[in-house]
Amino acid sequence: MPDKPVLIIDGHLDMAYNATFHRRDLTQTVQTLREREDGVATGVSRHPDSLERRKGPEVHPPGTATVTLPEMRKGRVGIMVTTIMARVQAPSVKSHNAVRTQAAAYAVGQSHLHYYRALEREGEVFWIKNAKDLDACVAMWEDPTPETPVGLILSMESADPILGPEDVQAWWDAGLRSVSLTHFGANTYGHGTGTVGGLYPPAYPLMDALRSAGVILDLSHASDLAFWQVLDYWDGPVHASHCNCRALVPGQRHLSDEMIKALVERDGVIGLVFAEQMLNPGRDWDNPATHQPTATRTMSAALEHLDHICQIAGDSDHVAFGTDLDGGFGRELSPIDYDTIADLQRFLDIMRRRGYREEDVVKFAHGNLLRLFRNAWRKT
Amino acid sequence: MDRPMLIVDSHLDLAFSALQVNRDLTQPAATVRTHDPEPVMRSFGSCTVTFPELRKGRVGIVFGTVMSRLDPNDRWTRTGMFCQAQCHGVGRGHYAYYEALAREGVIRFIKNLKDLDEVVAAWEHPAADTPVGLVLAMESADPILDPDQAQEWYDLGLRMVSISHYGTSAYSHGTGTEGGLLPRARPLLDALRAAGIVVDMTHLTDQAFWEVLEVYDGPVAASHHNCRALTPGQRQLTDEMIRAIVERGGVIGAALDAWMLDPTWKREVPAWGQQTKATLETVADQVDHITQLVGNARHSGIGSDLDGGFGTEQAPRDLNTIADLQKLRGILERRGYPEEDVRGVLSGNWIRFLREVWGSR
Repeated sequence: MPDKPVLIIDGHLDMAYNATFHRRDLTQTVQTLREREDGVATGVSRHPDSLERRKGPEVHPPGTATVTLPEMRKGRVGIMVTTIMARVQAPSVKSHNAVRTQAAAYAVGQSHLHYYRALEREGEVFWIKNAKDLDACVAMWEDPTPETPVGLILSMESADPILGPEDVQAWWDAGLRSVSLTHFGANTYGHGTGTVGGLYPPAYPLMDALRSAGVILDLSHASDLAFWQVLDYWDGPVHASHCNCRALVPGQRHLSDEMIKALVERDGVIGLVFAEQMLNPGRDWDNPATHQPTATRTMSAALEHLDHICQIAGDSDHVAFGTDLDGGFGRELSPIDYDTIADLQRFLDIMRRRGYREEDVVKFAHGNLLRLFRNAWRKT
Repeated sequence: MDRPMLIVDSHLDLAFSALQVNRDLTQPAATVRTHDPEPVMRSFGSCTVTFPELRKGRVGIVFGTVMSRLDPNDRWTRTGMFCQAQCHGVGRGHYAYYEALAREGVIRFIKNLKDLDEVVAAWEHPAADTPVGLVLAMESADPILDPDQAQEWYDLGLRMVSISHYGTSAYSHGTGTEGGLLPRARPLLDALRAAGIVVDMTHLTDQAFWEVLEVYDGPVAASHHNCRALTPGQRQLTDEMIRAIVERGGVIGAALDAWMLDPTWKREVPAWGQQTKATLETVADQVDHITQLVGNARHSGIGSDLDGGFGTEQAPRDLNTIADLQKLRGILERRGYPEEDVRGVLSGNWIRFLREVWGSR
């Protein structure tokens, strides 16, 4: 065992979505958020002119909170790839955070961007835009204090906020470094999770612009057809920020062995998702009848996916954390031995107990994602 | 009847309606009503404001808000937050929505005299695609992270700010609370004054209202505010407050929320479970009260607040969509208002106000 915790990079978190859509102040402790979201514990204003008196149905958070910045510091999750998340899709019970127009998607995307900027202004996060920033942030986390800012690499889940190829440079300048073209449903650029069909024509000029800017393409949430269409067209860096293995858990949302091989051939990195819906072999993503409201699996279930990817790759260079924790679910659908994001350190202990060498633990915890970004940013 | 008159609406939460209520505002209201799921209709009412309706009613100029506040109790609108960083994020999202609409040619930002004159001229003979002029406003100053950010917001186009909204902002007590300005209000007011941003007196507590007038000598207005003499309650302006705003050259926009028009409106009963007595005549009563009080019709306007958390159910009972604001013209004419005054109330007073504020800079 190492004498101090290993730096963790989480390759996929939806921080701004939680802050702006679910009203979570992520500078607070998880305990504070849980108290605030406990309907019984919170008071209401009694003033006759308070808005409380005319409120309608309440906004319900998507489960019990597990991710906040203090909790990340506690677990030495010192760097996060965190999203701008807005997609065009007919809103439904299952996609209540989708919007109806690309103008609205742009607006939600900008709101996420500016939330992160406000955090940066407060010193809560350290924005990583190039290899120099990345090295500086890793150095900060060598010997962190309770105030060390969490490193932030900006990603985008569904490219709808990008109104066209001509906007890509501005998003790059704002710090955007990874983009998945699609998310749930069919959006402006193509088909995503839960749909069949491939890319739409606007995806190609968008990819050209993303390529020239230097953005990494994230293949999570691509439909099967779109996945292969992207790889046919795109010759730049790729990853799958948050995806598990279809060989272990059924459903289109997960990567087939061929997809994993293809990503490894491109030196991509696959981020493991710590969610029941991605870890329980009895749960078919595409069959709602198999979906349960509470978790049954421990974190060790993610180790099976880790192992599967390492077996296909023949090395431990292509897998990382991409937990998606609090990304539309909470503790109820997270592994049953997990309480807050600080517990990710305990996953590293599970790896060690299963006989992974410390060198492989470090690669998984941060080394592989560092390599991905350093390679992608060599020129910039 | 003559051609419709240009209307200025000094308070619409368009971006909130588009982003938090999740509506495509480029569609007719009737279409949006088919889109809105039942829980949304129950919560926010039936849609009344979209760009086609604005055009139909010749509401050619609007004050569109950026709206997010510190308000832990608001579990309803997704705009009441726990910290200012969240408010800033939501607020910049609202601005970005208008920015995207401007790129599409749906709106045109009005940031200065030239923009204002050109938009007014364009609406003399509007085409089907004449952009709606939009003055950027902010309801609750919480998205301004610090006074030193006021200039940045001005550069984005922000021209009017209310210091608080419901609850207590980072800067002041607001509607539904008791108390005055907070320590950070003073430097904020100084920064707004320096940047040239109008202070909107709407949603201040009584105490904060008078404190603002004491420490701030710049231009003021009340974007969406009715008369306490007609509808009791902290949310409305006393006659003394009306006089004070008018003395400063301000304009007061009449709000169309039944809660602010109809003393018998029951706030604890859902809007879909009651019928207001208020009509557009009741709106004209607000205008008339101010006119009689100050002796002229130069300080009243329309600041409807339609779709600002309520819909048709909580609006005057003879209003289906915002296009019906044109009916106010006939109502005011029948009450003996000369054409010049009618024009003033519908648009001229706000246009004059902006010209005075911007011309003096």
